[in-house]
Amino acid sequence: MNMDEQALVLQIQAGDEEAFAKIVHVYKDKIVNYLYQVTGDYQKAVDLSQETFLRVFFKANKYRPIAPFSSWVYAIASNLAKTELKKRWRIGLVSLEDVPPAVEISTPSEEASDSGLIRNLRQALDALSPRYRIPVVLKDMEGYSQEEIAQIIKRPIGTVKARISRGRNILKKQLEMARTGNVSFQKKEIFDGRF
Amino acid sequence: MEDFSLLSKLDRVTAPPDFERKVMSQFSARREALPKMRRALAFRFSLAGAAAALLVCFVVVNMFVLQKGPLSESAGRTAQGTLSPKDFMPISEAVKYSPEIRKASYEPKTAYILEQVSDASNVLIKY
Repeated sequence: MNMDEQALVLQIQAGDEEAFAKIVHVYKDKIVNYLYQVTGDYQKAVDLSQETFLRVFFKANKYRPIAPFSSWVYAIASNLAKTELKKRWRIGLVSLEDVPPAVEISTPSEEASDSGLIRNLRQALDALSPRYRIPVVLKDMEGYSQEEIAQIIKRPIGTVKARISRGRNILKKQLEMARTGNVSFQKKEIFDGRF
Repeated sequence: MEDFSLLSKLDRVTAPPDFERKVMSQFSARREALPKMRRALAFRFSLAGAAAALLVCFVVVNMFVLQKGPLSESAGRTAQGTLSPKDFMPISEAVKYSPEIRKASYEPKTAYILEQVSDASNVLIKY
């Protein structure tokens, strides 16, 4: 954590609104994108991001500088995402038809998204169980190390390694099935309801 | 794996333009509502505490007060060896066993002939 951020955290712990606004400005795109990759729903990602930042302020006194501040923010976001996915699982919104498509979002890599592989990867990722999706997204999309992911999801590093490996294997299997034309991205096959 | 390098190329999204304004407005609203929320939380905890205290009282009364009734007093006296005959209520029931017993002489006489049926042994049959 750099010194500026550390100072901002101390100011937030003292109740400074301006410091909070700066933190929101720095992290807003990262957190919205992360929650979008995990939930697959842009509007829900925005709502959860707002709640994440509110918790960052109101729970700031619980933060201990033993881990990077960004890990703590991502941990709050991950917990909110897990709660949301559990809620969805309980009320039965598990089929891909029920997940709102993110068609309204402008995608910077429009031409890349057009390729079949990227599209299949997106579908396979959305269908992946959250217990694997969160570590895979944090590792392969957000660029966190396994140690940092272990801090974020509060699991041993061995568990993190296993989940990343297992998640990647499931994704690979799904992509191979998509290549051979035997595609079936059904959450009930991949997602067993465990978080 | 080449497939997972593609994960970083998946469409990335950004926060909507009014995101910060919405967060700050929610922040102000929540900050104002915080004392009220704390009071509500304290009320909930006190309610839960009162319910728990009631439950404890109920259990204590059941264990130590209500069980010291006539039955437990009698049991206590038995244990101490001070039980007197007036503490017992005699219960007797007349049972007639005579229809249950049959006389052997009323039965028809039966002669049983025992015959060996095994082929294995060459023993003469005696009647």
